Amino acid sequence: MANEVVVMKNVSKEFKVLNRHEGLKGSFQDLFSRDYKIVKAVNDVSLTVEKGEIIGYLGPNGAGKSTTIKMMTGVLEPSSGEIEVNGMVPYKDRTRNSENMGVVFGQRSQLWWNLPLIESFKLLRDIYMVPEKDYKDMLELYKSLVDIEPIIHKPVRQMSLGQRTLSDILAAFLHNPGIVFLDEPTIGLDVSMKAKIRELIKGLNEVKKTTVILTTHDMGDVDALCKRIIIIDEGKKIYDNDIDHLKNYFGSYRTLRMRLEDGTWEEQVIDEKKTDVMHVIQETQKSHKIKDIQLEEISTEEVIRKIYEGSKAYE
Amino acid sequence: MNSIKRLTALTRAGVMESLQFRLGTVVTLFGNLIYLALVYFLWKAIYDSCGSSVVNGMTFYDTMIYLILATAIFNFLEMFIIWDMSRSIQSGEIILHLLKPMKYRLYTFWSYSGTHLISFFLTFLPTFIVVMIITKGAIPLGWNFLFFVISLTMALIINFNIDMLVAPICLYTESTWGINMVKETIVLLLSGATIPLAFFPDSIRRVVEYMPFRAVYDMPLTILLNKDGANTMNGLLSMLGTQLIWCIVLTIAGNLFWNHAVKRITVNGG
Repeated sequence: MANEVVVMKNVSKEFKVLNRHEGLKGSFQDLFSRDYKIVKAVNDVSLTVEKGEIIGYLGPNGAGKSTTIKMMTGVLEPSSGEIEVNGMVPYKDRTRNSENMGVVFGQRSQLWWNLPLIESFKLLRDIYMVPEKDYKDMLELYKSLVDIEPIIHKPVRQMSLGQRTLSDILAAFLHNPGIVFLDEPTIGLDVSMKAKIRELIKGLNEVKKTTVILTTHDMGDVDALCKRIIIIDEGKKIYDNDIDHLKNYFGSYRTLRMRLEDGTWEEQVIDEKKTDVMHVIQETQKSHKIKDIQLEEISTEEVIRKIYEGSKAYE
Repeated sequence: MNSIKRLTALTRAGVMESLQFRLGTVVTLFGNLIYLALVYFLWKAIYDSCGSSVVNGMTFYDTMIYLILATAIFNFLEMFIIWDMSRSIQSGEIILHLLKPMKYRLYTFWSYSGTHLISFFLTFLPTFIVVMIITKGAIPLGWNFLFFVISLTMALIINFNIDMLVAPICLYTESTWGINMVKETIVLLLSGATIPLAFFPDSIRRVVEYMPFRAVYDMPLTILLNKDGANTMNGLLSMLGTQLIWCIVLTIAGNLFWNHAVKRITVNGG
């Protein structure tokens, strides 16, 4: 029980949206319209997250990811259901609850735009009332994980997007919160910066045992960081399990490519439930000479795509 | 619960941030000169056409001192809460502010405090000193300055609360420009910042006396210039008392309204 950082039970969130009408006439109608429709952004989602986990929270655009995150942080009140984060109801005492939380929202920054990074750190130290020793230890830890020297005295507005995101992540972990929400932290970053940021998140999670909820569209993030993923679509939870299990979701598929003696590539998708790779190679060798082979695992991205598309197919 | 260090840390950041914009201060001072030139010629014309040197108990000299200092106070008090809030609501950045472990209103007030501190020393004080030197002793300098600082601090709190009462309206209307203009005009007119209250017709002045706007410009100025109403201990205390009451009333009202408005974010989403 004490190990559960997030507990959500049958949580739903509804929004009232005005039905907009088309055209000029419609716009005037809208002025007086009381014609609301209810949109269920999150529909009966239950989940638990344990201490120290890194959860990949995935779903297509508009699936309700951000709404869930906002409910977990306490800026949104659920329409129904129970929610507890760090043993407290987040929206009831948002101010106190946020002492034990860190957030990074992709394109936004909580840093002081015109001040050097170190000043933002000092400010956050004071706002979150972090003891001096813990603060120093944390900076030491940061130094051991990433090279912060080049950015620590740089005003935030002069930073590149990558440096800023990195700084924002450091800022979110500074008060050593129990849980950190990362909403698309690697959006718009180059490959090497993405790798750096993944390493940093992993390192912080390992040392500080911080629970991390990560939403992203980049499956590279998921592969590098998450053991468990949760997928939602149209407000409903459609998958919640280990990432290894995910690869078997549609059966364990691999793609085998073989170059034959005439130089052409022969491609075959192998369902490991029915047959195995060695068997296919042997069979092929009976009739052809194989010059070269390539074996491709099905990528997380492909599986996820299948899940997204599959859930639409039910409609 | 809120240690002082939290608050002063925000002030410190505000001071450092506003010091980044040295040029801004120069531009403000230059803009003021143009505005004050306009005020000078306007009132010169008014006094010339009146034919008497004292209008409504104020000489041309008095009026100019009053209006110059009102402009200086305007620069000191100027906040962009309404703009900042509507921008951060539209961009969704407000979430980051709501997720600070401090009450939003407290956090906002102290975030701005550094800017006010700087503008007090970089725009108000220089203006005041220049006016003092030019008028050669027309402004009495003594205890009144201390009371003025107290009064100005309360004016700041009142002004902050007025802004915080207006700013969340943009949560309902989703537009800011008009609301801001209306607020600005009302405050500047009814507080005596553009026309000294002495020039108001009696009936209107009596109404204005019961409004909080007077406590923003007219009261601090009356105290600073040690004019009628502030030159006796009783008058002084009743002015400071009135300001204090407005501080309390508006803080409570602002709190209630904000708590109601913030529900719109937490219930309906940003």
